[in-house]
Amino acid sequence: MKEYMTIALPLSRELMTALRLATGGVCSLAGVDLERSEDCKVCVTESLLLLMHAGYPSARVGFWEEDGLLVRVSGEGERGAAAPTEEDEISFALLGALAEQTETEKEGGALARLSFRFGK
Amino acid sequence: MDERELFAKYRETGDVALRNLLVERYLYIASLLAKKFAGRGVEYDDLYQVASLALVKGVERFDETKGLKFSTFITPTITGEIKNYFRDRSRLVHLPRKVAELRAGVRRESEAFAAETGRSPTAKELAARLGASEEEIVHAAEAGGVVSLDRPADEDGMSLYDVLSSEDESFEHFENREAVHSAMKALSPTERALISFRFGQELSQTETAKRMGVSQMYISRLERKVLEKLRESLKGDMA
Repeated sequence: MKEYMTIALPLSRELMTALRLATGGVCSLAGVDLERSEDCKVCVTESLLLLMHAGYPSARVGFWEEDGLLVRVSGEGERGAAAPTEEDEISFALLGALAEQTETEKEGGALARLSFRFGK
Repeated sequence: MDERELFAKYRETGDVALRNLLVERYLYIASLLAKKFAGRGVEYDDLYQVASLALVKGVERFDETKGLKFSTFITPTITGEIKNYFRDRSRLVHLPRKVAELRAGVRRESEAFAAETGRSPTAKELAARLGASEEEIVHAAEAGGVVSLDRPADEDGMSLYDVLSSEDESFEHFENREAVHSAMKALSPTERALISFRFGQELSQTETAKRMGVSQMYISRLERKVLEKLRESLKGDMA
């Protein structure tokens, strides 16, 4: 499994656009078509929002080649107080609707990692 | 009354007031999802309308006895409708503009590529066809989609028809302009007015409906019909 790149970033909304652009670039490298590339950007953004609401100060986003593009997003740093919102449920449902094989992992009862795939 | 009870009661009585209550309660989901998909070349207002209609249909179809929360059920439903809407719109003709040549090129080449291969192209493949870098292609997509009839024809609020009638040499694809011009002539005055309000002045469907003294639903149906008519006409001209 080839790693395209991994980005570590503080969880702030200001950096979402930069990460969306990077995601678009990796989708291109991975041969993901433009429509699904847009969907992948939405999924990356939603994952970061979920981790933000789970209380993480930063995150690591890894992009891997595996039958298309596999994206792994994990919370980093000392977790603060979780601030879940009603929108979290919608974010999870959106991930399920847009990506293939969405998986989530919890640690200490809180969301810690997400992964999803976009096929070629 | 909680969600499950409300849906059960609506299912039992078919009371429209209850349905409206449910729709109002979950309208925020339509708004939220419309915002998440805005920026792909379609205005938020239009996406919100598509999402709201999907919500109404979802309220009708939802079965609370299956144990699913409504928000979990409705999110993929609305997302599917929005994506269908994007696909419908992607079949529209495009208006070449110098300032957006690359974005227009992306749409044109995407369609050509899809026709040739039966699949959507990657940024790399588009870059090769357009002589641009992959980064430029990706950036053009990120910047808000490609130029199409749903964009204002001119920053001064000129209508698409007006602009297409001019002899402005900034349009490099003369044949396209003429084809659109000719297709526009075949429209009725009402249909041309709709195109002018919606794509020239970039009014929302609601605003357009007010100006034309009809309902928003009527505008929605008419717009779909007119765009389809234009598309068919242009397809015939360019065949």
